[in-house]
Amino acid sequence: MPEIFIDNVRYEFEGKPLVLQFMLDHGLDHPFFCYHPSLSIPANCRQCYVEAGTPVFNRETNSYELDESGERVIRFFPKLMTACSLEATDGMVIKTHRTSALVERAQKDTMEFILVNHPLDCPICDQAGECPLQIQTYKYGPEGSRFEHKKVHKPKRIKLGPRVILDAERCINCTRCVRFTEEISKTHQLTIISRGDKNYPAVAPGTEFDDPYSLNTVDICPVGALTSSDFRFKARVWEMNQTPGIDITNGKGCNIDVWTRDNVVMRITPRYNPAVNDHWMPDFGREDIRRMNENRISKPEVLLDGDRIKSSWNNAELNFTENLAGLESNEILVIGSAFSSVEDNYAVKKLFSTLGFNHQVFVPNIKEGSGDGFLIDDDQYPNTNGCRLLGFEELTSEKLTLLLSKGNFKMIVSLEDDLVGRGVLNEDLLKEPYFVYMGSNHNKTSALADLIVPIANSVEQSCSYVNSSGRIQRTTAAKETLYTNRRLNLEMSVGRLDRYGTKFDNWVTDRNRIDCIPAWDFIERVATNLDKQTGYESASEIMDEIASVLPAFNGLSYDRIDDELGVQIIGDVSKVTSA
Amino acid sequence: MSETFEFTKEELAEIDKIKAKYPDKKSPVMPVLWLAQNKFGHVEPEVQQLVAKTLDIPAAHVYGVVSFYTQYYGTRKGKFVFDVCTTLTCQLCGGYDILHHLEDKLGIKAGETTEDGMFSIQSVECLGACGYAPMMQITNGVYCNHLTKEKVDRIVDDLKAGKMPEFEQIPFPQHQNESSK
Amino acid sequence: MSVDWKNFEPVLLPKIPVLHKIDVYEKNGGYDQLKKVLKDWTPEKVTNEVKAANIRGRGGAGFNAGLKWSFMPKPDGGPRYIAANGDESEPGTFKDRQIFEYNPHLFIEGAIIAGFAMSITAVYVYIRGEYKDWIDMMQKAVDDAYAKGYLGKNILGSGFDIDMYVHSGAGAYICGEESSLMESLEGKRGYPRVKPPFPAQKGLWGRPTTINNIETLANVPLVIKNGAEWYTGIGAKNHPGPVLYGISGHVNRPGVYEYPTGMSINDLIYDVCGGVRGGKKVKAVIPGGSSTPPLRGDQLEGVCMDADSLRTAGSMMGTAGMIIMDEDTDMVDVLWRISHFYHHESCGQCTPCRDGTGFLEKTLIKIRDGHGEMRDLDLLLDLCTQMEGRTICALADAAAWPVRYTVTRFREDFEKRVKNTVYALA
Repeated sequence: MPEIFIDNVRYEFEGKPLVLQFMLDHGLDHPFFCYHPSLSIPANCRQCYVEAGTPVFNRETNSYELDESGERVIRFFPKLMTACSLEATDGMVIKTHRTSALVERAQKDTMEFILVNHPLDCPICDQAGECPLQIQTYKYGPEGSRFEHKKVHKPKRIKLGPRVILDAERCINCTRCVRFTEEISKTHQLTIISRGDKNYPAVAPGTEFDDPYSLNTVDICPVGALTSSDFRFKARVWEMNQTPGIDITNGKGCNIDVWTRDNVVMRITPRYNPAVNDHWMPDFGREDIRRMNENRISKPEVLLDGDRIKSSWNNAELNFTENLAGLESNEILVIGSAFSSVEDNYAVKKLFSTLGFNHQVFVPNIKEGSGDGFLIDDDQYPNTNGCRLLGFEELTSEKLTLLLSKGNFKMIVSLEDDLVGRGVLNEDLLKEPYFVYMGSNHNKTSALADLIVPIANSVEQSCSYVNSSGRIQRTTAAKETLYTNRRLNLEMSVGRLDRYGTKFDNWVTDRNRIDCIPAWDFIERVATNLDKQTGYESASEIMDEIASVLPAFNGLSYDRIDDELGVQIIGDVSKVTSA
Repeated sequence: MSETFEFTKEELAEIDKIKAKYPDKKSPVMPVLWLAQNKFGHVEPEVQQLVAKTLDIPAAHVYGVVSFYTQYYGTRKGKFVFDVCTTLTCQLCGGYDILHHLEDKLGIKAGETTEDGMFSIQSVECLGACGYAPMMQITNGVYCNHLTKEKVDRIVDDLKAGKMPEFEQIPFPQHQNESSK
Repeated sequence: MSVDWKNFEPVLLPKIPVLHKIDVYEKNGGYDQLKKVLKDWTPEKVTNEVKAANIRGRGGAGFNAGLKWSFMPKPDGGPRYIAANGDESEPGTFKDRQIFEYNPHLFIEGAIIAGFAMSITAVYVYIRGEYKDWIDMMQKAVDDAYAKGYLGKNILGSGFDIDMYVHSGAGAYICGEESSLMESLEGKRGYPRVKPPFPAQKGLWGRPTTINNIETLANVPLVIKNGAEWYTGIGAKNHPGPVLYGISGHVNRPGVYEYPTGMSINDLIYDVCGGVRGGKKVKAVIPGGSSTPPLRGDQLEGVCMDADSLRTAGSMMGTAGMIIMDEDTDMVDVLWRISHFYHHESCGQCTPCRDGTGFLEKTLIKIRDGHGEMRDLDLLLDLCTQMEGRTICALADAAAWPVRYTVTRFREDFEKRVKNTVYALA
């Protein structure tokens, strides 16, 4: 196998890797700015210098030439090479800053030039704390500045579009944002304008950067030049906890990181998954923080003489069980939800199946033609395939309306799905029966419920979803509810504030913890009241059970989903129908 | 009332001819910008949009190109633009004197336009006429070589009278040298 | 040793009136070489002859043109291009425009022959946008050549097709750099490309491309006509041929002169150009455009205009655009202006050039305005080290060399400025 020597250590490689990516893949730290693994390589920041050489091959003897001490003769390139654009070849020798004073100096030199026109405003810059320029300046930068002149002044606080703001002075002209709009989102909305040190990115005059993927440019900007108008000045990076999750605004199921501070979701960023969303996600998925934080149902609510009042969990359970008592099998309609997780749907379905209530349906939310073939899917819900695999009957709006108007349902149990709000049902159909709504946010459907059960949402519990291409992926709790605790739930991330914050800190309160529990947990409580308890203590146990009883889920576990960044469980999505 | 910018049928035919010279649709942007600038006197954003639309290429790309090349007028300039070369040889041979003379004469600084919109002055980089320094170019067109203050005065007066200086053919000195031998 | 130049008859720009007209050009043997090549020669023969003639690129790099042609891969049926570089933006350079004006068909004939040698489908002639009048002249010449059947389909019944298009730049020095020129031809911002891939593999529109200077291609018909041996007999041994010297600055008769390579700089100044204005002494000479290191006036004895001699003297041939400065010249001012030029023209792609050129200029302004300190001179040299060889194209080097060599070779001018500051006294 071909070999390469980096700082005197031998590595083997396959194919034609680029030296920088190869080093990063092998855990070797190396400074760079403009390179991005999913974009073309302009090699313009000139930061990833290495010394590179190749062994001298003697065609006559068909062997490498050796020097007196028996070592291969290495012919080094006359100039320093940028590792990002350098293809590895067999026998190549690379010297980085760890072994070459020249490289170390060159990296410092480039850093000095970058900083010449970069404002020293880290204390008020959103990027501080996660800024490649800041980090690399600490690690590889010069000690001080020799630049005693005026910096180039450029426009600040330019609203490039509805979601992205530019500070042109901070820009280091890596062109990642421009390349993103040219190569990934393909809207071609950005360009670099002007020339030399007056360069900066811009949109054409009279247009705006309304690319549905525009916020990805903020993620890949290696400095604080592009910031999110939504997140700007809201939180310092080191105050937040970062937890892996799944974007549930869409059937695609982009992998995300959920950033919370004091149990408020501050922002969402894409998490790398080459099989799903690479490094990207659509902008509207990030706006989901509103659903996570605002308009939440906290504490159960019951309808008492026409008034909606907050109630206790005990009372909610009691109400639920009492209304269930004595109903015939065709008098209960269970409406699963493609918006809810596999586990919640499964727990609901299992209980009612055990009780003999088999009207179990769901209505998908697919808007044909609304997708873009990239990361925006026609399917508006994250778990349509999950519902199908669990065996909920798939109904259209018309069929559900027919069922409700013809049937004689005394009780309807619905998992979070705003059926009225999205026009599936007319509200009159829900008025007669005893209507239980299990959801996280108030909406037009919950407003009609006789009993509202507040359930934990996708960032308050571990749960999984089967996306529109048949891949199961899961979330982790990012945000505490009234009943969860970071220090006890080892899956939850514990940040600096959680460790060191005190009650006297601005950012440490309990007011953002919602009084809710996972739907499966509530169902389990009801089941216990009915002596049908299963003993579930966590979503991962439910997944283990699903894996053992449903063939499509065979062999799955949270560990496996984590290890493999999600598991493809459906080969051909077009063949999936409700079991 | 806002101006509208459009190409005539003849110009569109001319653009089709330009397009035929290049294998892709992005490449003709420079000649088409030239055509637009020659017609409208500038390539302000509205004209850039027109060019982008005509060629079916992103407007941002056109903007990037316009702002990269110094000869495209992304903002309106005077009717006559004096591009006074001040680089190296012209600097050595008095290019700055010419520039300052012109500035004094017109009462504006380099980079500015006279109030009546007649003249703009720019201090520009080497125009490739080093042997004939100091020199300037008028509105991306004719070269005026071997400038003196008097010659500059004459040019300004002529322009005011609507007379553009003519192309100066500078004899090849070697031919002259030998003929004089 | 200087070459015999006094008996040299110009061949690139011969003394024939109105030679730019195609009829006159034809009457004087024009396009005969093309006819000869198309009729009797193979492409390999052309390439080999040109390679043997050792025409060294007249755009600045001085690379053997025929050798460059031989890097083109075998034709695969797809389009292949020549980009003829008439950007000519290096300060001190104004030679190609003489070809456009006085002998455009020599270039056209050369480009077609080169096209035949490399199985080219189209030649793009890139001319800087400022040369509006010369672009028109060139366009006229190309139109005439089309009308006479030297360009287009089935040239002179040979079955060989080639097109030629004139493309106007729009004011960007960087577009004289070959990969930037290609970007500009493709309608983009002139950002130089990372090599590899080299233009011969992936050039214009991703196809094999050779970039040659206008003057380089104009030499081709002469080589075909007279043979490589004749050509190598002209001028300096390792850098032969006639060359267009563009001489400007403080001389009595500035202009473009055609003489063999290897002319002594002193001959050019004193005999060809009639000496320095006002009979002054030469303080400095920039031999080949503003990026080539300046030579001191007292170091000129025996220095000749060819690659070897200039390398020994510590400079380069570049474009042979010589700038002569007399004894009253202030080198601080001159260097500042050169630095301003490169600062203005840096495309802004690579960090060391984008921010380094500005750093250099701002430091030079500080010195020029009398605020400089001795340490600024060391800083300048240090910045040069930080820029040289660290960027995609050579603009950073072009910006750094004049600074490095002006500061070291004319240090007294700089020390005089900085010593007068309060900082130096403190």
